[in-house]
Amino acid sequence: MTREEIIASGLLELYVTGSLTQEETLLVEDAIARYPDLVSEIEQIELSLIKLSEATGGRVPDSVWTGIKEQTEKTIPITTRKRNWSSITGWAAAILCFLGLFWMMKNNGDLKEQLEESTTQNELLKEQIELQGVELAETNQLLQIVRSRDFETVNLPGNVAVSPDAYVTVYYNEAEDIAYIDAQGLPTPPKGKVYQVWSLKLEPLTPSSIGLLSDFETTESKFFKVENIPTPEAFGITLEPEGGSESPTLDQLYALGTVAP
Amino acid sequence: MNQPNHLIQKMQQGDEKAFADIYQMYSGAIQGVIYAILRDRELTEEVVQDVFVKVWNNCSSYTVGKGRFYTWLLNIARNAAIDRTRSKDFKNSNKNLATENFVDILSGHDNLSKKMDALGIRKFVEALKPICIQIIDLLYFKGFTQVEAAKEMNSPLGTLKTRARNCINELRNKVKDDTV
Repeated sequence: MTREEIIASGLLELYVTGSLTQEETLLVEDAIARYPDLVSEIEQIELSLIKLSEATGGRVPDSVWTGIKEQTEKTIPITTRKRNWSSITGWAAAILCFLGLFWMMKNNGDLKEQLEESTTQNELLKEQIELQGVELAETNQLLQIVRSRDFETVNLPGNVAVSPDAYVTVYYNEAEDIAYIDAQGLPTPPKGKVYQVWSLKLEPLTPSSIGLLSDFETTESKFFKVENIPTPEAFGITLEPEGGSESPTLDQLYALGTVAP
Repeated sequence: MNQPNHLIQKMQQGDEKAFADIYQMYSGAIQGVIYAILRDRELTEEVVQDVFVKVWNNCSSYTVGKGRFYTWLLNIARNAAIDRTRSKDFKNSNKNLATENFVDILSGHDNLSKKMDALGIRKFVEALKPICIQIIDLLYFKGFTQVEAAKEMNSPLGTLKTRARNCINELRNKVKDDTV
């Protein structure tokens, strides 16, 4: 169709009133693309119809626009508020997430520390148990020794002149020439001094040193083993300078007891 | 009428000032179309309001370059008005619209509207032949498709189109005379 044919056809009028079929509408739009000055023709058709209906309806009261503003202003802020709300929610969620993450990281660190502490404590406890196991074994061994028939118990009461409250028990095994000294009843020796154990023959008085109770303070059980004992008639304990003496210092005799014949 | 594409696009981006300008440009014509269908001031004002609220909410559905913006507006207005004629309230008011056209507004029961608007429309009515009044009423005010309009007028489609052309030409001449 030429430009003039289109104008004469009445298609443009029906295009404005919205009465065309879809194909005809496309045909008109195609023609507009080819002949852009058709737009001014369309605009005049539209203008005449607008003028006609303006005359039909008269003036639009201001209340109509007021009503429209009321409704659109109600909807606009709601949409913006909605947008804000969702973004606020989003930020809040993000912040919560971060806080949660930090909290969990901190918790994780704390738990790790606790775990390490517990592991260390565990190890310490294990060591203690082992140690106690060893001690228990030793104690049991000692108990066996003092209970056994091979050992003879010799009580050494404290020397009234030096240390009246002191007492010592000696468990003596004549067959094996060994003895255990239970020195629980002796006071802790002063610094630089040490207890020395003597095996004594009484007629004539012949003391032989059989050992020192060294490390007295640190030996928890206060149980000491001595060996190679010349057959004794009595046991005595004196306080001597560190390293022990050749012969006992008798005015420092703490305990003395005779072996039953 | 030049289509204000710039304003339409601004309105589509949420510009309320552009929407107000568009309302200023088109509300009178849209009110006329709705009034021609409903013949009731109060109802017409309500529907004009609804139509422009719809325009604001759905303006993104119009695409510049795809049809006339006024035609898009016209369709919304006619549909809204016709919807309203189906409402209970409207049916109760006992109007026999099928036999009436926009010219009947001149003889309307509404005395106030007669005084205010009759002069405006009369000059057009006097310039138009009765057949033109019918054609314009069907195609423009009532929103008939061309097939429906042709059937209503007992004329072939081609004749309907050329008649529409000639009738609107008369209208255009009248508008031109007025503005000169």
